[in-house]
Amino acid sequence: MRPRSRFSRRYGHLWFVLPGLVVFATFLIYPMAKAFQLSFIDWSGLGASNGFVGLANYREALTSPALYLAAWHNVILFVAILIIQHTLGLFLAVQLNARPRFMEVYRTILFLPVILSLVATGFIWTLMLSPNIGILNPLLEAVGLGFLAGSWLDDPRFALACIVVVQAWNHIGWAVVLYLSGLQNVPQELREAAQIDGANAWQRFWAVVFPLLAPSFTALTVITFIQNIRVFDVVYVLTGPVGAPAGRTDVLGTLVYRTAFGAAGATTADVRLSYAVTLAVIMFVAMLVCISLLVRVLRRREIEA
Amino acid sequence: MATKLARRAVLASALLPTAFAGRARAQSGITLSLWHNHPEWKDRVIAILNKFEAAHPGVHIDLQEMPSSVYVPRMNTALAAGEAPDIIALNAGPNMQSAADAGYVLDLTNRIDVSMLTPPALAASAPRGKIFGVPIMGAYSVALYCNRDIFAKYELTPPTTWDQLIATAKTLKSKGVAPMMIPAQDGTIPGFLYMLIGSSILGEEGVAALRKGSRKLTDPDLVQIAVLLKEAFSYAQPGAIGTAYTEGKALFAMGRAGMMEAGSADYAGFTSTNPKANFTVVPFPAVPGGKPSTVTGMQGVFGVNSRSKHPEEAIAFLQWMLSKPAAQMVIDTITLSTSREVAPSDNRVMKEMVDATKFNDVRVWFEYPEIGKVFPTVAQKAQALFLGELSPEAFSKLLQDTVDPSAT
Repeated sequence: MRPRSRFSRRYGHLWFVLPGLVVFATFLIYPMAKAFQLSFIDWSGLGASNGFVGLANYREALTSPALYLAAWHNVILFVAILIIQHTLGLFLAVQLNARPRFMEVYRTILFLPVILSLVATGFIWTLMLSPNIGILNPLLEAVGLGFLAGSWLDDPRFALACIVVVQAWNHIGWAVVLYLSGLQNVPQELREAAQIDGANAWQRFWAVVFPLLAPSFTALTVITFIQNIRVFDVVYVLTGPVGAPAGRTDVLGTLVYRTAFGAAGATTADVRLSYAVTLAVIMFVAMLVCISLLVRVLRRREIEA
Repeated sequence: MATKLARRAVLASALLPTAFAGRARAQSGITLSLWHNHPEWKDRVIAILNKFEAAHPGVHIDLQEMPSSVYVPRMNTALAAGEAPDIIALNAGPNMQSAADAGYVLDLTNRIDVSMLTPPALAASAPRGKIFGVPIMGAYSVALYCNRDIFAKYELTPPTTWDQLIATAKTLKSKGVAPMMIPAQDGTIPGFLYMLIGSSILGEEGVAALRKGSRKLTDPDLVQIAVLLKEAFSYAQPGAIGTAYTEGKALFAMGRAGMMEAGSADYAGFTSTNPKANFTVVPFPAVPGGKPSTVTGMQGVFGVNSRSKHPEEAIAFLQWMLSKPAAQMVIDTITLSTSREVAPSDNRVMKEMVDATKFNDVRVWFEYPEIGKVFPTVAQKAQALFLGELSPEAFSKLLQDTVDPSAT
């Protein structure tokens, strides 16, 4: 048998990486490079392009109030849902970790929205919230809270809150599963040692258990960030392409979609594909920076924990 | 070993007929691909295509229906990638012109007979004198639908003037009925309402002046369009800004409002939702100083992909679709005709729609390059007008800023 060459010994393992790398480069790196290239031209998406425009698309995007308003809505969604995930999600996980009867049933019910189509659940929520045919307002009236009934998705005060509720309901399963797996990995001996040292239940949780949930916290925070910065489907189904009412629920996803494919079904006279791609590139870079910082900070916290 | 061989033989024999069938079909027939953006019409369109296939043995039309929200991005992407279907349907006006400029569609001038088309249909087919697409699925007109049952119950008659419209709306509101269905979530209906009110004031000549730049949407009498649009909105159903277009249509079909601005193309959807839906159609009421109005657009124009391997068959299909029997099927089952020769055979509502267009019918604004962006801007900004965040003057200025008299 011929001895392996030095090159083969050193780099032979790269053959195993190659198939994945080819797929990654074809379906991710190449389209991204193409998108980057598109952001420097003026093209509606149909027909011939109007040629190279340099940084004009970037200049326009970065001075557009619509971009910052949409990004601000994404941030609100992220923070609100992060709080819900880390409080309600953790609370539910702790309850399930106590192994109640029918634990599997509860866990399945809580995780079910995660695997359901966001478009389908969005439609169901739209129908439930509708002031014309929805069940929420009649329900409120039935329990004597009729004064709270309203046009939920129509009202600038409540529309974004409705998105938060639906998005949180859709994703709470992630928090429960991640925290539950973290809780199940906390050694029982540590809890018992803390108990022997005189720590009460609350102290045991905060001083012993919670620091060991740092990896779950990190994973959940990053997942929540990604889910809420790139959110599109739920918002599109609930409040439409212009982020009704009057842009109060407009997010980066709907802004990019509307710019690329138009806001009104009857015509596409307003579409600007290359500008939409520019918005998407800015969104990508911003996410990359934020996630890098987020992961760095959270990893440090994990090590300290 | 013998068992393995026997198993392979059985599998091969099972696959053989399938392989030959596929080959036989590929050799004997031609398949033309066609994408269309009205899934709710699928059965009706297939019935028409079946007639074509019966008249043209060996040619099969492979229809793919998809909603408009999916259709536009998919078609644009497919055109750019060179993977569009043989028959390409696009919006008349700027869209088809862009596709023609990019060489995506064949020049059909002198290759297709369009002598039967109405002047607006012909103008939509040949905006710069050359034909790149023809309106085979007919045209749509937009007017005012009134629910006959609700009107009969409260002894109301369809309004013909703006004052009557408001009086009718007030009566309905006092009876606890939503006067108007205005789904404003995606801006389509506010966009059409704006065009109807504007067309009532301007007429076709005024729209031509708007295109040339001699009239402006910021002119005091045209700022009134925004004022009246906002007034109409105050009689919309609860939660109008949160109501999607499709939901609004379904609610209206189920009798949840007295009136709705809607098109001939919506009628099929209304009756699919509620076969007992009982409507009458009238022109949109004349606003002060204006005339009753309707707006008419093409239900897309259909061209032939310049990369199609079967251009002659595709042209033959388009020509057949413009023929009287096909146009009759389109008008009887789907929408309005683009040919003067064809009238609805047995449909009172469509006949009323045809009659409505005889007063002051204006072509939809977004088929004109110069004012093509007014409609999508209304769609995006109408909610701000309704919520009082934009004054009618500021709203009108936003719209006027999109007008480009130099665009062709």
